[in-house]
Amino acid sequence: MKRLVVVLAAVVALPAFALETQVLPQGAISLDLAYLRTSLDKQWGGDRRAMSLIDDIPRYEPGGGLQGILRARPIAEFDFLLVQALYGVTDSLSVGVNVPILMRSTIATNIAWEPGDYQPQLGRAYSLEDFWSWAQSMGQGRVPDRAVDTRFRLADIVLGAKYLLPRFEWMKTHHVRWSTQLNVALPTGTNADPEEAVSVGTNLWELHAAGDVELHLAADKHFFVDEHGVYRLNVGADVFYAFFRPRQYQGGRGLKNPLLNNNAFYVGDTYWIDPGDWLAGTVSVDVVPFIGPTRASIVSGQSLEKAQALPPLLTLNASFTYVATAQSDWQSNSALWDWDREKMWQPGEKNIFRFTGTVSLLRLGLPVQLYASYRSQDILPGRFTRPANVFTAGVRAVAKFW
Amino acid sequence: MVSGTAYERGLAHGTQLRSKIRSFYTTLMTNSLFPFLSREQPDIATLLKEYEGERYQNGRFAFELLLESAKNLERNLGRAGRDELRGIADGSGLSYDEALILNTFVDTTLAVRGIGLAIRQGRAPVVESVELLGLATDGLDNDGDGQTDEANEGLLAPYAPPFFAAAVEVDVRTRLRVVFSDPDGVDPQTVRVRVDEGLFTFGDPSLEVLELSPTTVQATWTPLEPLPAASQVTVVLSAGDKRIIEVPGPPRASFRRDEELVVTTRGAGLGVRDISRPPLFDNRTRPPPFTVAVRNGRAEGGPLMAHSFALLDANTAHKHTVSILHQPHTGPAFVTVGWAGIVYGMSGLNERGVGVACNPSDTLDNSVVGSVLDQVADLSKARLLASGLPAGYLVRRVLERATTAAEGAEALGEVDPVYGWNCTVADDQGGLEVVELDSDVFKQGQGGVYRYGPTDRDPVSMRRYSSLTDDDVVVGSSYTRNVDDSIVLNLAGQRVVPQRFWSGFFFRSRRVMDNVTRRLSARQAPVDVEWLKGVLVEPEVVDRSDSMNAVVLDLKGRVVHSAMGTVPATNSPFVATEVRR
Repeated sequence: MKRLVVVLAAVVALPAFALETQVLPQGAISLDLAYLRTSLDKQWGGDRRAMSLIDDIPRYEPGGGLQGILRARPIAEFDFLLVQALYGVTDSLSVGVNVPILMRSTIATNIAWEPGDYQPQLGRAYSLEDFWSWAQSMGQGRVPDRAVDTRFRLADIVLGAKYLLPRFEWMKTHHVRWSTQLNVALPTGTNADPEEAVSVGTNLWELHAAGDVELHLAADKHFFVDEHGVYRLNVGADVFYAFFRPRQYQGGRGLKNPLLNNNAFYVGDTYWIDPGDWLAGTVSVDVVPFIGPTRASIVSGQSLEKAQALPPLLTLNASFTYVATAQSDWQSNSALWDWDREKMWQPGEKNIFRFTGTVSLLRLGLPVQLYASYRSQDILPGRFTRPANVFTAGVRAVAKFW
Repeated sequence: MVSGTAYERGLAHGTQLRSKIRSFYTTLMTNSLFPFLSREQPDIATLLKEYEGERYQNGRFAFELLLESAKNLERNLGRAGRDELRGIADGSGLSYDEALILNTFVDTTLAVRGIGLAIRQGRAPVVESVELLGLATDGLDNDGDGQTDEANEGLLAPYAPPFFAAAVEVDVRTRLRVVFSDPDGVDPQTVRVRVDEGLFTFGDPSLEVLELSPTTVQATWTPLEPLPAASQVTVVLSAGDKRIIEVPGPPRASFRRDEELVVTTRGAGLGVRDISRPPLFDNRTRPPPFTVAVRNGRAEGGPLMAHSFALLDANTAHKHTVSILHQPHTGPAFVTVGWAGIVYGMSGLNERGVGVACNPSDTLDNSVVGSVLDQVADLSKARLLASGLPAGYLVRRVLERATTAAEGAEALGEVDPVYGWNCTVADDQGGLEVVELDSDVFKQGQGGVYRYGPTDRDPVSMRRYSSLTDDDVVVGSSYTRNVDDSIVLNLAGQRVVPQRFWSGFFFRSRRVMDNVTRRLSARQAPVDVEWLKGVLVEPEVVDRSDSMNAVVLDLKGRVVHSAMGTVPATNSPFVATEVRR
């Protein structure tokens, strides 16, 4: 029996500023607290068709033919707390740390059963209850219909630095900025438990959130810029390369699930996954429908002029990200087993749409920004990836005072 | 390809297929067969108390059982056989014991499963009698005995599963009455009568079910519509008892095996032995292994043999199939169609043009029952212990030794098999023999070897055993000559009876043999490789769940055409392998 629910990848959208190139002023500190709700219920096949996260599992009775087909349609939901801190080292360089914490994971297995061959010894074909009764007679417990894990677990911490590149004169004239960014993940997340039937890992590969090392090059162009430098429209772009390091995993020894998770004997006590790198590009549009009232306050050092340069009260952002994912490579003692995994992680793509609304109260004298976003991967089907949809709500406080 | 000494061949096999072998062992044995076989422990321990012991607890029953038998079989493998297994173990990383189990489990499992099945059938309702009403007064000879309207014509009592028709030339409105009995009581709601495509269960107006006594139920089926005239009609009967077995799960009653009867209606004009069992589309039974072989004028381009092997896939065996060209340092080269880590296949062809294919044939005349008989004085200490040579090694024995089919048949008959098998041996000169084997634990005088060829005939009926002409043979997974494979006796409360009374293979074997025979009969032109491939892929003869491989042996051309790697195997294309050094 193969493992019923394999590692479920999710996508944690890392909240960011509206602009691709935004950095903090020197000495400013931004503290960001976000709640993310992620849901995942399918994977894309090579033909862009939605498939269950796990294949149908035909179950056979030795010599007795097909018992039936287990059809699991799992739905995975994750609640994350994301803590970010950014610091403006200079007006051009900001550094930050991003700490994702998985607060709760809920996996509904949604198992259905298609009866198989008639079983003479039963006088009927197996029902789902018959099947679990059969499995339990062999020491394999029933996989829960719903697995909830409320332990707080740290995911990989990401350190980042963004540098606003020097601008050419024409860039200044045309309100164009460009920047580069380097993110490096620390391996603080965990692998999925090899002994559990339903398990979630929190490293970046399993979350499919970001690379272990990412290098970005981004640019923005403002339109309809007023005399204070506030724009009404911005068009941005970002290209990045994400590198994933190979990861070592433990094979299952069947300690908890003797029939589900006992691949160590032929896979090996340990095996490796080289996830394959990503190459991606984003285009985004920011619209400012409402700049809002402005007043001199402690946030602007009691300067109305400086206050008028602060972010608008409301900014709406829409972006599209295309991610080309490379083949993931499993390396164990069993080429057969490797291929069973690799076939669903062939070179593929993600098509990510994100819509964000940001309310900035800086102009009103409160050093706080509120934002909410929705990120969808199933508007435009991808290939060989798992489309997680993410709702995010966060609050950001800026801690520099003039 | 593996070559050299036995150890070198084993080492090459183990090394080249290392990951497949380990995966096969885990997914088939550890994950599937050991736990499955362990479910037999409660049943078997009721008879053999030794298996209640500590050593067999905590899920170790199946492993220990198979290992004990494997150790007992090991002595018959010869030094070369043991060396080859040692090589596989060294190359793959399995322990020697694991490699030994992997190469002996099929026969031991079949024997133990057979005993378990016989025990289960022993506690299921028994068909006491079947009666086709009105045949004693219809003015016809319905049972082919040359007499008309004798007193009990149409009554099968005591009921014995018929090889051929239960009755012929019955009226299209003939009623059917069956009596089931069981010490635990027969559950009337489980009584089931199927007539061709029509299913009649408890509550159906055409099926009257009466509890004659606490242990007996009578079911009478009355056709509301006339049966098709001048036709063969299949009737399937089954019932369950009232005692629900809770452990091991799932909870269930004990069910009588589906009993299949074929009758002909007036105008069919067929004798009792002339019937050909029609296909049954009931999604309850699957075609078992079969072999068809042709020679001389029936074969285009030289003798041919086709083999459809289905037994135990468990969603894993098909991922581990392998065709191996063996080149021993002495003796002929040969090809086997089998599985990673297993030194044999259930079919093969050697460079001398001798081909062989074997099908299991359930029997209680097997070595494991023999071991119980040997220990019958004290069943509290008795264990199930296989002895003899596993069938795959019998195949190897033919391929390693034989130059002709006759020599192959001799090689098969020289050693005792672990279990019951039907092996077909043919050579490129037209030699063709079938050898039906059992362990002869009841000493029935034939040594457990029953040979016949296409020209041989049953001395009673003077009909060919399983051939249409002098140049073909169709072999299934039931005995055709060794029909009384076992004597009838009571062993510690369990009835030991011949195959046809309990084997789940019996009726479906008869059906698939008839199906293939019909196709062969309809073929006017000589049979060629492509035609045989076409037969093997026919849905009516393919086990869609446990098909393991399909093979056509071109004996003269020395080519093995094999389809495997999927379920059913015939979903894969046939691949040709030449048997050449």
